[in-house]
Amino acid sequence: MPDAMLLWAALASYALVALMAVPAMGLPWRSRTRRAQAVAALALAAALALHTLSLGLRWSTLGHGPFTTMHEILSSNLWSLALVFALAWWAVRELRGALLLVMPVLATLAVWLLMADARPGHLPPTYATPLLYLHTLVGKLYLGLLLVATALGLVPALRRTAWGAARCAGLPDDRRFDELAHRFAAYALVFDTLMLIVGAVWAQDAWGRYWAWDPLETWAFASWLALAAALHARATLRPAPAVFGLWLAGVFVLAFLTFFGVPFISTAPHKGAV
Amino acid sequence: MNPAAPRHALIAHFGSLRTTLACMGLLGAAAFAGQAGGGFGVVALSTAIALLAVNLLAALVVHPAFRRQLPLLVFHLALLALVVLVGLGRLSSLDGRFELAQGVDFDGRLIESSAGAWHRDGLAKLAFRHDGFEIDYAPGRKRGATRNRVTWHEADGTPRSAVIGDHRPLIIDGYRIYTSPNKGFAPMLTWTPQQGEPVSGTVHLPAFPMHELRQSREWMLPDGRVAWVLLQIDETLIDPAAAARFRMPEQHRLVLRMDPMRTELRPGQSVQIEGGTLTYVGLRSWMGYRVSYDPTLPWLLAAALLAALSLAWHYTQRFFFPARVAAAAAARGPLHGAVDA
Repeated sequence: MPDAMLLWAALASYALVALMAVPAMGLPWRSRTRRAQAVAALALAAALALHTLSLGLRWSTLGHGPFTTMHEILSSNLWSLALVFALAWWAVRELRGALLLVMPVLATLAVWLLMADARPGHLPPTYATPLLYLHTLVGKLYLGLLLVATALGLVPALRRTAWGAARCAGLPDDRRFDELAHRFAAYALVFDTLMLIVGAVWAQDAWGRYWAWDPLETWAFASWLALAAALHARATLRPAPAVFGLWLAGVFVLAFLTFFGVPFISTAPHKGAV
Repeated sequence: MNPAAPRHALIAHFGSLRTTLACMGLLGAAAFAGQAGGGFGVVALSTAIALLAVNLLAALVVHPAFRRQLPLLVFHLALLALVVLVGLGRLSSLDGRFELAQGVDFDGRLIESSAGAWHRDGLAKLAFRHDGFEIDYAPGRKRGATRNRVTWHEADGTPRSAVIGDHRPLIIDGYRIYTSPNKGFAPMLTWTPQQGEPVSGTVHLPAFPMHELRQSREWMLPDGRVAWVLLQIDETLIDPAAAARFRMPEQHRLVLRMDPMRTELRPGQSVQIEGGTLTYVGLRSWMGYRVSYDPTLPWLLAAALLAALSLAWHYTQRFFFPARVAAAAAARGPLHGAVDA
């Protein structure tokens, strides 16, 4: 299968990005750091190009997008998270020092993807709607922005370790990372809200109810509430940047479980991809 | 001492952002408590949402800064509107399900339903009928698209027709009628008593193909006697190994048993039994439908979109035009509290 070969090539490129994660976190004025960042950027661009081709080829072959099986969900989310991160990397200079903080998530998805059954699935009849694409788009933007916010927010926390303090010495101060993390988290909340709205409209048409507190809806709502609470708490309690970063990490874990855990273990009607 | 001071302190307490955080925590816990089932989840959710609504109203009173930030104010008022609309929607809603045989008018009766206290039943006016359906199956009997032809009359008598299915409901008078995965065969029988008028009816056999090997059911004659019917299909209707489509069987028999009598009937055949004649008119299909009614749906969508857009507006203003926001705030007067989530 050509799409599988392209996917393997993409995964190899992602692995090269991961190898560059530690050296890319060095002092920014060192040539070694800059070289590592440049290699990581090129490898990321190559991985995304190969991955896009792989997904496109599979889509063309099967006649439907990557929406049905665990393999497809993992692959498309690895692609979208890497894409949002790459765009943010290009736009926000500070993020170049935080590559290491994003890689565990991308690596988890990549390894999981290698273990997932790649056979095609059946597209449910309720998926034949433009709402599928809209729901997926805003959901991917939400998770991608939250991942970038978490990576930025965790830099101040990393600085509290001796290793992190040495590695992050040349980066801007904690307040800058805190402010950037706040921005990305705020827009993640906007897209999370849109994801819930589009999901509710779709649920009304597909199942005759817009909200039923099934396990996936409950976890999705809890993720939204946790993110809203983190942003509220930032305004109220004025936490240190490192603490806010850890809160965002907690919200990301909740969102990650909602995206990749609940749909595959729930036996309730709203099972996501299964 | 100012007699209004304790009341103001109480409102300030309820309107604080710390109270908001506590209520959010309670709402999160209530959402998960609802997963355990039972009535506790509903009570916990309602309580948490009500507390958040009170907290928001109190915050509007005690935080002038809140009222000055228009997008943030609109966002929170939209959330409040959502809560009110959901409550109104539940009070006036109807959710239910029913089955309808091909060619038979819907009579407004539901198999299961739950209705809000303010719902006024208008189902009997719907009187639509279905004229058959097509369902695609992928290999492995994986259900694909459903296309169900329905006809009805407008209030002025104008005949209407549509094809519904999956996420395309039939919407009449605010009632949204959806097809469901539940469907099957319905033998039509006519009972002609020795004295009196003939009575026709359909027997909805268990869902097909889910209960393919159990296409039988007991049925009661108009005089109260119990009959048992079995649909004997002599062909493979939906081949599990190939792409297929739901279709009516071309070769079939209806086995009728009324102890001690047992007979097999083909469409159009009759059998004489004590007190009259039973005729097997032919085979129809039946479709299971879900019906829902909630007049607040468009308003809910509008409020939710307003909330999302005002949130985006608030953050865009805050992050990309902070000078303009500060200048506008300064022009209105000093802030009395930070509300800048």
